[in-house]
Parts: sequence; structure tokens; C-alpha cells
Amino acid sequence: MTCVLEARSLTKTYDTGGVEVDALRGVDLAVQRGEFVAIMGPSGCGKSTLLNLLAGLDRPTAGEVLLDGERIDELSETELARLRRSKVGFVFQFFNLVPTLSAVENVELPLLLVGRRRREARRSANALMGDLGIGDKHGTAPLLLSGGQQQRVALARALVNEPAIVLGDEPTGNLDSAATREVLGLLRAARDRGQTVLVVTHDSRVAAAADRIVTLRDGRVAEAAALEPPRPVTLPFES
Amino acid sequence: MSVTLVKLAFAGIRSRVLASFLTILLSGAATATIVLALEVGATARDPWQRTFDAAHGAHVLATSPSEAEARRLAALPGVAESAPPTVSALAIPGDDLLQLVALPPSTRIDVPVRIEGAGVGKRGIVLERSFAEKLGLRVGATFRFAGHALPVIGTAISPSQPRYPRSKPGVGWVTLGTFERIVPDRSRWNWTQAVRLANPAAARSVAASVPGAVTWEDQRAEALRDSEPIRLILTMYTIVLLAVVFAVVAILVGARASQQYREIGLLKAVGLTPRQVTAVFALESAALGVVAVAAGFVAGALLAPRLAAPSAETMVGAPTTVANPWHLLLASIPVLLVLVLSARASTRRSTRFSVLHAIQAGNPSPAGRSRLARMISRAPVPLPLSLGLKDVLARRHRARRLVGAIAVTGAAVVFALSMQASLDARPAGEASDVPNELPVLVYTLDAVLLVITATTLIAVVLLSVRERVRDYGVLKAIGLTPRQLTSSLVSAYSALAALAAVASIPIGIALYVVVYSASGGDAADRVIAPWYWLALVPLATLLIVAVATSVPARLATRISSADALRYE
Repeated sequence: MTCVLEARSLTKTYDTGGVEVDALRGVDLAVQRGEFVAIMGPSGCGKSTLLNLLAGLDRPTAGEVLLDGERIDELSETELARLRRSKVGFVFQFFNLVPTLSAVENVELPLLLVGRRRREARRSANALMGDLGIGDKHGTAPLLLSGGQQQRVALARALVNEPAIVLGDEPTGNLDSAATREVLGLLRAARDRGQTVLVVTHDSRVAAAADRIVTLRDGRVAEAAALEPPRPVTLPFES
Repeated sequence: MSVTLVKLAFAGIRSRVLASFLTILLSGAATATIVLALEVGATARDPWQRTFDAAHGAHVLATSPSEAEARRLAALPGVAESAPPTVSALAIPGDDLLQLVALPPSTRIDVPVRIEGAGVGKRGIVLERSFAEKLGLRVGATFRFAGHALPVIGTAISPSQPRYPRSKPGVGWVTLGTFERIVPDRSRWNWTQAVRLANPAAARSVAASVPGAVTWEDQRAEALRDSEPIRLILTMYTIVLLAVVFAVVAILVGARASQQYREIGLLKAVGLTPRQVTAVFALESAALGVVAVAAGFVAGALLAPRLAAPSAETMVGAPTTVANPWHLLLASIPVLLVLVLSARASTRRSTRFSVLHAIQAGNPSPAGRSRLARMISRAPVPLPLSLGLKDVLARRHRARRLVGAIAVTGAAVVFALSMQASLDARPAGEASDVPNELPVLVYTLDAVLLVITATTLIAVVLLSVRERVRDYGVLKAIGLTPRQLTSSLVSAYSALAALAAVASIPIGIALYVVVYSASGGDAADRVIAPWYWLALVPLATLLIVAVATSVPARLATRISSADALRYE
């Protein structure tokens, strides 16, 4: 396996009104292609900070982040945006769908950003939404969808470009048990298609679905453990 | 409870300094304009009275080709004082340049009030001040007409003589000897009898018995007609400013309610009824409004005499600065109503959501997608523009008010351009009866409107950026570049403004035609601004919008995605 995402001595210090807070203190992490990694740890240990740095959403105070062997911590905002639209898919705890766009418009947005034709993008988005069991919700405003439906739209948006890496920040944190199972199934399916999945979570069920668990404590990697290969997952909406 | 509501209202003002400042600024500007419109007419009346007193003005004046007919006025009951009639005639037959008036030394009523130089004497002519100014003749110069040359020995004003050239012919006072030399033909002479009455209020009934007689009230109304175009234009701009201020205040109040959405939820959660929450916001707006109307009244009252000064050119002294307290009341009612009612409407909308929804969401949900937004989705427009337009149209009320404010401001600019075109179209050398200060006033008010609208635009974009920080974080996380984010904001607002600017052209032309007709302008002299001037309106609007929105748009790109995603 090849390393697709790597953090080297990653440090992040926040200045909170004159008081410096070390969120990350020299984190080293390598994620292999097609791997499903869960990052766990208590609140405030730096999980979300690490995810943001790995995605290029924030800049480290020190250290390096490599995506497909390329250093991304030195890229400009424009270069980072172009990199994300082609290689990274995001799922957030609060879904973060754009409220002024319909469900299908949210899903097709990454395709339009990489230059796909409007009609083609719409067709791909509709097809993926159908696969995820929300084909009848394409014209619906996000706020009119249930939490589980919103998260599936968010997943469709993250997966529609077939990015090399799917990142999730507590993707099941705001869902009930049934919706959590659905989302986990979808993440596993992405991993089975060869996409790399990295999620930050407090949820032991999510961790159980991962290939590897990385535990952070006080801004440092406390332990990393490989798990037994999980059994194949059947999506709840698949007959 | 009422003390608590007041405390909450003032806490709201303190916590939203920028929005509070903008509300005071814009509402103050509206108040000042209303006060200006009311004060200009009033301030001009006072110097006319002083001129009338100094001239020992006539309560009734009668002019006739017959001396005996003119003298009949002096014999009427109620006349307390009369003087021998004066003789006047056009200096050049058939030419309305100069009316010569022979002023005998015994004249005691309606005596010209000397401004510069000497009084009437053998050596030359005394010209009415506005006439001398239009001709460019100063004391010491020589006035040449129809083969005559008279040195200008002085200038004077008269309460019975309105400003030249609105009132033609101009007036020059000479001795009877000079008059007879220039107008030897007695058939051209007119006789004017001036009288003062024991009861000035009876002037109209006295004048009714003498054909062609005018009262002191007629003289005053005629003299004050100079201030009418200014008052009319101020009234129009007052309405325009009120419309813009209404739109702006409604946007600001709505945005404040939006910012306070969670707070509204919390207030309801701790036990305030929707009515009490609405009262907090209405109190907040009313408090800001009181400060605004007080500041606006002072500004309007101080500016009014400056604007009234040109219309008082034919009068003694400058207008006074004593402002009428009733004008404060008249100006404050519409402004306070606009503020309080828009606050009430916006807050009532927000209080309809459930407490839980308000606390959890932080911001109200954008309204359902409009047909226009769905059309944009299908239209072949660039992605950033499509995203930006959907964002702007998600808050339809705000978008509508912004378009309205831009359209009204554009209309005011079209009005000014058409007025300038009419002035430019006059034949070279022909004197204009438009007070010189009128174009300056119109341009000043246009500049005020432009500043207000541009400020509003910046405020709206800033508010939009603030409200959508998290969405921008998401869009950046998905892959929108900073440039695309900037262009989505700038292009959407530019498209909206271009629409408004195009609509402003017919509105502005219609406004100009109506005001021109209402102010008694001759339709034959009315000129609409040429198309290439009008084309500048949408172009300039686009430029202003691009500049005004680019700064807040750039701020949006500088927000770190990680911070934006944490933003509530």
C-alpha cells in the first residue's frame, strides 16, 4: 500500500487573547491508500485541528502535511481549493449543506467546480443520490430534510467526485442509531471502492468500523491500533 | 418588567454599535431633509418683512395708464397714508429689458432700499440689485441701452419687485427729469399709486375696488416664489430619502433581528412573550430614532438659512436661524414611524419560529427558493454568479429593498442629469430664472443619496458575509477558490444593481417631468438628459457596486475555513 496522506511533526498553536494554547504537539501520522482510519480522543485533544490541517483548511504552526506526496501546507489558498475539489471529500457533524441550494445542487457543486458540464453533473448527482436512497429528494431544500437524509446528501456531495480521500468530522455525531448505521455503511463502501477514509469521532461504533484507530491525547498521538478486518457491510436501503 | 425591557433595548444598542450608528446616520439624514424642506420657505419670509418695513412698503399698489385712475386708490376708505403716484415706462418700447421708474424726492411709501452707492439723483440710474447682478453692472459702471448711457450710481431693492430675470423687466430708478428725457412720449407712461392702510388685513377688500391693484400679501407671495423650486425639489428629495431610508432601516432592523435570532429564542425561553420581545426591538429603534431626529433637526435648521439665502436676494439681510419647533414634530413623526414599524414587522416575523428552532439554528432559515432562483439554476450563467444570486435571493425582502434603494438613488441621478440638460439647452446668453444654488442643492442631495446607498450596500454585503460565514467555509472546503468566492458576491450584487439602475432611468425621467411641470416649467423648454448621459447611470452603478462590494467580499475570503466551520 502507498501512503496517501501524511503528517510530519505537525504542531498547531492557537493564540487565544494573548494566551498560547498548543492544540497539536508534533503529530506524526501516515494514512495508506484505501485505509479507513478513525481518530479518537477526549474533547479538546486536537482531533478536529488535525483533520483541518490534513485537509488544508488551516495552516500548521510547524511541521508538514503531504497529500499524494505533495506538501500542501505551503500551497496558496487557491491551490488548496483546487486540490480539495479534486482529491478531498468532506462530511461534517452538522452536515453543512449550503441552505440556498437544493439537495441535488449541493451534490453537483463539486462536479461543476471541476468543470463538468451542467447536464452531465446533474445526471451524475441524481444517479448517486438514487444509489444512496435519496433520489426523491433532489429538489428539496436541505433544511426540509431529516438529519439522516441531510447527512446522506452531504456524503453524496463528498463522494460525487470520487475523491482519493474522504474526511469526516464527527459524521455521525448528530444522528440516531439507524442513520449512524447507514452512514457507516456508506463510508465502508467508499473504503471498499479504494477510497481512503479518515474520520474524527467519539463514537465507538464508528471506530469499530475502521481499519485502524489513532488515539490523540493532549495534542499527541497516544496510541495507534490496527483492528481486525470488519465484516462486509450491507447498506440498509439496499434490497 | 418595563424597566427590564428598556434595559434589554439599551443593551441591544450597545452590542450592535455599527448597525446602531448606521441607523442614526441614515434616519438623521432623512430628518434633516424634511426639516430643510419646511424651513426654507419659512426662513425666507422673515427678511421680506424686514425689507417691507425698511421700504415703508405699500399695503396696496395700483398701476394705471391714467393718473386719475391710479389716484382713485388714495381716496378709498381705510387708507391711512398715501404719497404722490410714481411714473414708470418701458425704457425701450416693446422690449422687456428695463422698466424706468421716476422717483420723486417726496416718495414716502414703497421707497427703494439702498444697498450700494447713492440714492436716486441727477447723475445716473439706481438699478434693482438682482437686475444689476445679472447684467454684471456694478456701481460706477455705465448702463447703455437704446442709444442712452447712464452711469450706475447705486443699487437698491424693493419689497414689490421680485428677483430678475424671473420677474421681467428689470427695474431702474431715475429722477423725473431723466425719465422725461428718455421717455418723452407720455402715452407710454404708467402711474403707480402706493397706499398704506390702517388695517393691513383689509388690503384684499381695498384692492378689489381698483382694477389691477396688488396687495402686500401678493407682493410677498411673488417675492417668495423664488424659493418655490427649492422647496419643491427638497420635498421630492425628502420623499426619495424617506423611501431609501425606509428600505435601509428595514434592511438594518431585519439584519439585527436576524443577528439576534438566537437571542430572541433565549428571551422567549426565559419567559418573554413575543409581544415583549417585539417591544424590546421597537424600543431600541425608537431610542435610536429620537437621537437621529434630534441630530437631523439641528443639521436641517442650520443648513436652511444657507439654502434660503439665494431666494432672499431681493430682500434685506440674510434669513434668520430660528427654527420652528413644530417642524421638529413634523419631521420626527414619519421617521420614528418608519423605524418603529419596520422593527416591529421584522421582529414579529422572527418571533414566529419556535424557541428551540431559534436557539439551535442561530439564524433564521432562508426563505423557500423563489421561481427566480430556480430559473437561475437552469440559466447558463457562470457558477460563481449562480451561487451568488441564489444567496442574495434567499433573502428576498432584503434584495427587494436594496434594489428599491438603488433604483430610487439612480432615479435621483437621472433627475439631476435631466435638470442639467435643460439648463445646458438654453440659448447662449439667455439668463436663467433658476436660482444658481438649485443645481448645487440637487447635486449635494444626490451625493447624500449616493453615500447613503453605497454605505447600505457595503453594510448589506458585510451582514451577508457575517451571516454566511459558515457557508463560505463549506464552499471553500468543497473547492471554491478565493477568487470565485469574491466574484460570487461581487457579480451577484452587480447584477442586482444593474437591474435596479436600468429601472431607475424611466423612474427618474418620470420624476423629472412631474416635478418640472409642478414647478411651473414650460414644457417646450423641458429637456431630458441625452441617452449617452443616461447610459452612464447603469455603468457608474456597476462600478460603484463593484468597488463597494469588493472590500467585504475580500474579507469573506480571508476567513479561515476551519474558523468558518466553527462559526455560529
